[in-house]
Order: sequence, then structure tokens, then C-alpha cells
Amino acid sequence: MTVPAPHNLPVEPNRFIGRERDVSELGALVRAERVITLSGVGGIGKTRLSLRVAAQARPWFADGVWLVELARVGDPALVVNEVAGVLGVRDELPGRLLDGLRLRLRDASTLILLDNCEHLVERCAELVAQLIAECPRLRFLLTSREPLRIQGELVWRVPPLELPDERHPDAESVLLFVERALAAGARAVTEHMPDVVRLCRALDGLPLALELAAARTGLLSPGRIADRIGDRFALLTTGHRTAPARQRTLLATVEWSHDLLTPKERVLLRRLSVFAGVFDLGLAERVCADGGILRRAELLDLLAGLVDKSLVLHQGGAGRYRLLETIRQYAADRLEEVGEVARLRDRHLRVVCEEMERCYEGGSLEPRMPWPARLAHFIRGRTLLDDCRAAIDWAVASRDAVTGLRLARAALAILAVRGDLGESVGWHERLLALDLAKVPDDVVAVAAAALAYGLELADELERAEELIVQGVEEQKRHPYTHWLGISYGVALTVFFRTGRTERALRYMEELEAAASAHDDPFNLATARIARLNLALFQGRLRQARRHGEEALALGRQAGHHWTQARALTHLGAVAEAAGDLETALSCHADALPLLEGMDNRVELARCHAQLGRVAAGLGDRAAARKHVAAGLELSRKAGQRRGVMRALSALSALAQAQGDLEGRCWPGPPPPRCASRSGRSARRGGCGSC
Amino acid sequence: MDERIVMVDSGTGLKLTEEQLDERSAVATVQLRRRGVRSGDTVLICLRVGPDLLVSTNAVIAAGGVVWPLPPDLDTATLRDRIHESGARVMISDVRQALDAAEESRVRIVMSVADLNGSCPSWAPPT
Ligand SMILES: Nc1ncnc2c1ncn2[C@@H]1O[C@H](COP(=O)(O)OP(=O)(O)OP(=O)(O)O)[C@@H](O)[C@H]1O
Ligand SMILES: [Mg+2]
Repeated sequence: MTVPAPHNLPVEPNRFIGRERDVSELGALVRAERVITLSGVGGIGKTRLSLRVAAQARPWFADGVWLVELARVGDPALVVNEVAGVLGVRDELPGRLLDGLRLRLRDASTLILLDNCEHLVERCAELVAQLIAECPRLRFLLTSREPLRIQGELVWRVPPLELPDERHPDAESVLLFVERALAAGARAVTEHMPDVVRLCRALDGLPLALELAAARTGLLSPGRIADRIGDRFALLTTGHRTAPARQRTLLATVEWSHDLLTPKERVLLRRLSVFAGVFDLGLAERVCADGGILRRAELLDLLAGLVDKSLVLHQGGAGRYRLLETIRQYAADRLEEVGEVARLRDRHLRVVCEEMERCYEGGSLEPRMPWPARLAHFIRGRTLLDDCRAAIDWAVASRDAVTGLRLARAALAILAVRGDLGESVGWHERLLALDLAKVPDDVVAVAAAALAYGLELADELERAEELIVQGVEEQKRHPYTHWLGISYGVALTVFFRTGRTERALRYMEELEAAASAHDDPFNLATARIARLNLALFQGRLRQARRHGEEALALGRQAGHHWTQARALTHLGAVAEAAGDLETALSCHADALPLLEGMDNRVELARCHAQLGRVAAGLGDRAAARKHVAAGLELSRKAGQRRGVMRALSALSALAQAQGDLEGRCWPGPPPPRCASRSGRSARRGGCGSC
Repeated sequence: MDERIVMVDSGTGLKLTEEQLDERSAVATVQLRRRGVRSGDTVLICLRVGPDLLVSTNAVIAAGGVVWPLPPDLDTATLRDRIHESGARVMISDVRQALDAAEESRVRIVMSVADLNGSCPSWAPPT
């Protein structure tokens, strides 16, 4: 293999201790078995071991080794989304993600590591069984406190680290403890080896317990720690008496470590449990500080204290943090105990909403702004998506429709630039089902339009039409916003597609008037592209080109790469229709890097297919093959059946051009069954997505 | 020669021929090796007396392992102690109490008789 296989495994936070034989045996098993579940209690080291094994298995999986973290996924229905997200499969049609995953994985030699499955065992079992049956070269490595219990699953029980005895005073557990204690600045630990041995035994060799204990050796000697944890163990509340011994040991250690925190650290730790994964200091300050018990200015120090005590992990050093799952659950229980859940999750929802709106506004509302500045906002918005999901769940649960809808629409804007807004359909459906009596009319109207946007992409034109008419008409009663512009774009697309050109034209004219009056180049460009489409459809190629050039100029002035890319691909289509293949080629070629930079794989794949077709027409077979193959590969990777179809039609153009119907760049077996709805017009009015 | 009976299951009356014993032992040895059993490894076997026990024992020996038998009628606490003492990574058993007793041990893989017979799906290696 020449190109190293792709992966998304994190770098290890510190030295991996012991388990040499386990790692090498699992390395062999991962190649021989299709589903291996590493099982065992929390904190025993399942995740850490699985990451080791996965990293070493990389050379065997040409299509990559992918870590999917499920700890924070609450809703079983979202397991597929999580896997798809990691593999880069885009939501072509809302609700059809699984299809996309199948397409992506059908011929791929891939190892998927599903981490922390225990709370989603049933859904994981179903999904794994299904994918294994359909994708012959796919393998799974899982970590779960409970096995899946599916056929062919090899359950591999992770033991604790080895305990010391007379013959092996430097067993794995001792090594881990001493190393972490030294890192915590405890120079003297090695002088108390008998106590260290006693402590490692008391902690049952559990890595997480050892880490928590080692983090305190700066203040307490190993002997004292062993005594204190012994006391805690005796104090464990009755409810836990029946739990397995290892679990009790871990809980006792976590409680002990928690008891040693200062009151403020305790407050912060439990509040941090509301984050859906990685968070940064700024978010922690805004969600957790309250000006009373916790002041913003002290948060950094408190956070650093929790990191020193091994209760919070400093992720990758870039000011980003996270909690291990066992600790997060413990912290969430404490939050519940003091009755702060609703208050904190409200605040989390509000802060995530404000932050997402800032990203949306920063990226989209400024009429003129250099692209790198816009992109930074979009990228920041993408990092908030996990928290966004959790926050929308809370908005639904707490019936806070207003904040939920504001968050959902801001997030939609972030998703759309990347070409996959399928997930937003579910958000809007759930939120719009709440009691909307107290929601301002314009917020409901935008939400209806946002839902219509997703439905239109999913070809649900009837529902989309009803919603978009309602959305546009209501918004017209309020001052103009960028959302009204976008809503017009959706409306005219829906009406063009259903053949009602009159109504589409009316919306187009209204959009032009409104967008020019309010200096909204993004949506004005949408109107120009719609005019281009209409002119192209009617064979008025010169006018079509003029509209396209206007749209391109608007995109350039605005500094918006998405607008420019849309204008360019449409201009390419016009040039192609005019038989000017040279120009078509250069238009599509100019759009390509813009789409790459946005990570919009759906439109990028389409652009490659168009380039392939044009290059074939020009007789440049090598270039044509290259683009068709690139488009096909992207579509397969993103699980886009329509993209595959498009690449195939480009392929047939290519094959005709070279009189070679074998289509030599087809890299695998024939294409899968294609969605029957793919017959819609390739050129649609521009709601931005085409 | 092939019809030579080497064992009769006193419970079911089923007979095991020498050829069957050889064949099943060979398959089981391969399965043990696939699960990582190497020469010198201790392997726990907790099965009722019968052909499966004989096959398992044979297979562990053939894989170079050390057999550590556990009578299935021991109580859970004793089972747990013995499992702990063995330090084994692999256990062969279908017995409920033994599976429970292995819960907090250092046993990594529990193989059932079906696993030993290779009757669980075995998948093609990646190409
Ligand atoms: N072999 C090891 N060497 C060094 N550190 C380890 C090792 N095993 C585990 N750890 C550390 O111990 C802690 C707990 O391990 P890990 O997160 O893998 O547990 P887990 O079994 O996945 O727990 P959970 O069920 O809560 O997800 C982590 O901080 C991890 O880095
Ligand atoms: Mg884990």
C-alpha cells in the first residue's frame, strides 16, 4: 500500500502501559473476526485498549480505521448519524442515511471502532448485524460495558491491569500509578513501594482509579490514600452494595476524589456534565459561571485544578477539554442531586444558540467580507454541532420552542454551506410540533421555510410547497431578513420544479426587489441564477450567460465562495449548452477549489462529474477519466446515490467519446440500485443548493 | 479401525468413534489457536464429563496448553477462587455458574462447545 490509510484516531494523551500480549492478540483477532466487543466495567481501560488495537491495525484496512464515539449519543436513532458523520457520508435525502452508509461501505476494507455502546446496545446490535451482512470487508471493534449479543460477536473481556506480587513488584498497575504520580510531581512515591503495592491492590488494578489516586500524591502519601479509599469503600451507600466489586472500587475512588475537591471545583465539575463532548474555556465560562458561586474570572484556575486531579482531560492542548465518560456520568448524577439540571441545560441551550447565531451571522450576514473570515465562522459553527444536538433535545424536552427554533435555523445555515442539511429536517419537525402559542410569528415562519428547504431537497414537494408559501407570506409582513431571501429561493425552486412558472416568476421578482433594496448580494445572486436557469431552459443562452456573470460578480464582491461556485457551475452549464466546451471547462475548473475549501462534498462530486463530461467532449480522455473517477469516489464516500448516478452518466459520455463501453475507470462492481426519484431536473432554480 | 468406539456418553448413550474424536479435536485445536492460545498457556475447562470434555482436553494439549479442569458442580465462590488462581486467559465452558464466576476474573475469552466445533460463523479474512 502506498498511500497511508485514512483514520481519525486521536493521539494518545500519555504513555500506554502494559497489555502487550493483549494488544498483539487483538491485532490478530481484528483481522480474523468481524465483530469484537471489548467488555468490562467503566474505567477499566476498554477505550484506551481499543484505540491501541485500532491504531496498530491500520495497515490492514485500506479504506481506513474510524473511531465513532457514542458516549454522548442519547437517542438510539442518531447512531447512524454519528457513524455517517465520521465516515463523511452526507445526508442526500433526509432519513436515507443508512442507505448512504451501505453505499459507502459496501466494498470498503474498513475497521469501525464504536466506542461506548452500552446505553445503545440494541440499536448498535441491529446496525452492526445489518452492515456486517451487507458489507463483506467491513469489521467492527466495539467497547461496551455490555456485549451486543449478536451472532458472530467475539466478546473479549478486558481485565484490570496486572497486580503486583512478590515476584512481580513492578506489575502494570504499579507502573501506571508511579508514572502518573511522578507526572503529578510526587517525587517520593518510589520510597513507599509497599504502600504503593497495597494501594494498587486496593484499587484492583483499575486504570481510572489508579489515575485519580495518583493525581493526589502531591498532597497525600500512597498509604494515606489507601486508608482513605478503604474508608470510602465502607461508606458506599447501600444501593451500590450489590454492584460488582470492580464497579464499587471505582465508585469509591471517584467519590473519594470528588470529596477532596474544593466546593467551587465540585460545582464546576457537575456543571461541565452538560457539554456533549469537547468544550473550550469560553463556552465553559458562559455556561457554568453564574456571577455568584462561580465567577468567570476564576474558571480557568478551577478548570486547571480539575485537570490536575485527572477529573477533566485537556484535549490536544489547544484550550479544549473533555470529561471521561465515567466521570461525566458521576458529575451528571451530582448535578441532578442538587436540582440544577434544568437551570444548567437551559443555560447550555441559550449559550449554544447565541454562539451558533454568532457563527451564522458572522459567516452570512455581512454583505461584503473576505472569504477566510466567513469560513472561520462556518468552521467554528461545525465544532458546535454535538452541543447543538444536545441543546435541541433539551429544547424539545423543556418545550422551549423559541430558543430551539432559533438554534435550529442558525445551525441549518452552517450545515447548508457544507451540503448536508438533512439532519435539520428532524429538528424542525420536532420543534414545530411543540406548542407555538408564545413563539413570534416571524420565528415560526422562518422555521416553516427552513423545514421546506430540507423537504424540497428530499423531493417532498407537496409538503414543501405548503410550508414555503406559509413561510414566505408571513415573513413578508415583517422587515426583510436574509432568511426571507433564502425562503424566496426555496419557494421559486419548488414552483419551478412543479411546473408553475408563473408563481415562480412572481417570487423571483419579489426576491430581486427585496434583496437589492436591502443590500443582500447572497440572495440577489440566487435570483440571478434562477433567471439564468429560466433563460437556459428557454434556449436564450446569451441572456443566461449575462445573468450568470451578474451572479458571479455579486459573489466576488460579497467574498462568498459558495455564491461564486454556484454561479460558475451554472455558467459552465450555459457554455456547454452553447457548445463552448473550453469555457465550460474553465468555469467548472474554477468552481472546484472553492467547493473543496468549503468541504461541500455533494456539490464537489457534481462539479467533478461535469468536468469529466466536458473534458470527454473535448477529447481529453485522461482528464475526463480523472474527474469522473474523482466524482465517483467522492459520491461513494459520501454515500450519495444521485452523485454515483451522475458520475455514471458522465462515464457513459466518456465511454462514447472513446468508443469504449467498458468504462475503464469504474473502480468496482456495478452500481447499487438507485433511488427512483433521481429523475428530477439537474438544473433547478437556485435556493442555493444547486 | 474407523469404527472403534472410544467413549460412550453415559447420559445420552451417544458413542464417540476414534475418528470423530480425532477430527473434532483437530478442529478445536485450530479454534483455540485462533483465539490466541499458545504453548504453555493455561486453559480452564469447565464441562460435564462426556465427549465434549474429552475433545476439549485433547485440543488444549494439542495446542500446547496446560489443562486446568474445573468440576462444574463447585459452588460459585470456589469456582471464582480457582479461576483466579489459574491466571488463565481462555476458558472453555457452557456452564452458567462458571460463566458467572469468570465475570471479574482475568479470563479474556470464554469459548462454548459450539465455538470449539467451529460452528459459529467464521469469516473470510480481508483481502
Ligand atoms: N493501558 C493503559 N495505559 C495508560 N493509561 C490507561 C491504560 N488503560 C486505561 N488508561 C487510562 O485510564 C482511564 C480510563 O480508561 P478508559 O477510558 O479506556 O476506560 P473505559 O473502560 O473505556 O471506561 P468507560 O466504560 O467509562 O468508557 C483513561 O484515562 C485512560 O487513558
Ligand atoms: Mg470508554
